[in-house]
Amino acid sequence: MNAFFPLWRRELAAYFRTSIGYVAGTCFLAIAGFGLWRQAAQLARSAAEGDLVQNLFGTPVYWLALLVATPLLTMRLFAEEQRAGTLETLLAAPVTETQVVLAKFAAAYATFLLLWLPTLAYAAVLRQCGANLPPLDWGPVAAAYLGTALIGAFLLALGLLCSLLTRHQAVAAMAGFATAGLALAGGRLPFYAHAAPFREFAAAVSTTRHMADFAAGIVDTRAVVWYVGGTALLLFAAIRILEARRLR
Amino acid sequence: MAGAETLIEADNLVRRFPRCEALGGVSFRIRRGEIAALLGPNGSGKTTTLRILATALAPTDGCARIAGYDVTFQSLAVRRRIAYLPENVPLYPEMRVEEYLAFRGRLRGLRGARLAERLRDAVERGGLGDVLRRSIGTLSRGYRQRVGLADCLLHEPDVLLLDEPLAGLDPAQVDAVRALLQGLGPDRCVLFSTHVLDEAERLCHRALILNAGRLAAADAPDRLATAGETTFAEAYRRLTTPLPLVRNPGQRRGA
Repeated sequence: MNAFFPLWRRELAAYFRTSIGYVAGTCFLAIAGFGLWRQAAQLARSAAEGDLVQNLFGTPVYWLALLVATPLLTMRLFAEEQRAGTLETLLAAPVTETQVVLAKFAAAYATFLLLWLPTLAYAAVLRQCGANLPPLDWGPVAAAYLGTALIGAFLLALGLLCSLLTRHQAVAAMAGFATAGLALAGGRLPFYAHAAPFREFAAAVSTTRHMADFAAGIVDTRAVVWYVGGTALLLFAAIRILEARRLR
Repeated sequence: MAGAETLIEADNLVRRFPRCEALGGVSFRIRRGEIAALLGPNGSGKTTTLRILATALAPTDGCARIAGYDVTFQSLAVRRRIAYLPENVPLYPEMRVEEYLAFRGRLRGLRGARLAERLRDAVERGGLGDVLRRSIGTLSRGYRQRVGLADCLLHEPDVLLLDEPLAGLDPAQVDAVRALLQGLGPDRCVLFSTHVLDEAERLCHRALILNAGRLAAADAPDRLATAGETTFAEAYRRLTTPLPLVRNPGQRRGA
């Protein structure tokens, strides 16, 4: 993995040297901030129900933040390199397709995790504002962040694959947004399915249900395997597509 | 150079695209120490040949070897021994020149003192001392070309594949690039494509003239002129007379 770290560092630096890292960060923090503001307003009216973690994770605002941030982070990964021609010189160096795909994914993932860092301060911010919150149960907090990290990895891998299939960043972003939206909308299926076997299957792969479990502090191994496996499969597909381009 | 090791070997290279045949069976060999120019009109297959040798594209038929390694099946070994500069010199505009060269050096496994030494040499040969701290996006075409060439020299490759390295350069820069390529010494070989016949004639030991995807001639420029021709340019014009378009077998007329 000699070439992995130089590649990863270049990709990570590119987020903060071009506007894309700031655009993604601004959009994400604006949406996440709106979720916090809504929670604060509910607490001020004493209308907040349920746990703080469940009110911040798995809500429509939470999904919107994920849906917007992940395609913005992945759209340039391959599309821009293909448009500018730098992918050809990159792959003419002694690097493997696996190193290239994993380094790009790891850089996008590190930036994604960085975006979530400020949300760790939300409970402290609410307390500072005078909210009377019960002591935090760190189990569900850790589980919710684990769920976010797993779902985020899956959506980033999906976006990376979309970026590999086009030379246009805008098309990559739209495709990433649409496919991530479909993956999340599929999570609503168990609520509409009537046939029992279909309902059970839909519930087993439902992203919204998985997130509800994570936010309640339940870490279901099946969900972990689903996202880790799905992410690995998407990255494997990206590697094979890149390899096939050399042989086509 | 007779008896020197063959570094580039192309055997009956064929490359078909959905709508045309870019190469129709091209064979040649280039030895260590040789500078060879790929010449030919637009669409004659120069870039396709270079891309196949750089492992960016697989041949439809035939095979190519760099230092004995097959470009399709041993591409990693090939890429350790080559440097490839495409025509439009693709670089990362947000990076500074020194960062970019260090990044490219690290990709090729250079580290520490060896990397610093190779960077110094490449910067000096490329004449980049004044722009090291500048963003690549702010550089002129000539300087970008020099950054690309410096990148190619970093790891002291056996084979340099350069697509139009003289395009867009002013006369002084052309002189500098010519001196740089001539100064590479007997340890490596260079295959470059160009449309500038004078430069090719001055620079190369051998001219490979492609026409409609076929090798029309391969010899020293001064030996290509036949009776009645006084210049290399005249010989080039004779050898690149337009041929009818080659169609894929089975492709419908007018499709």
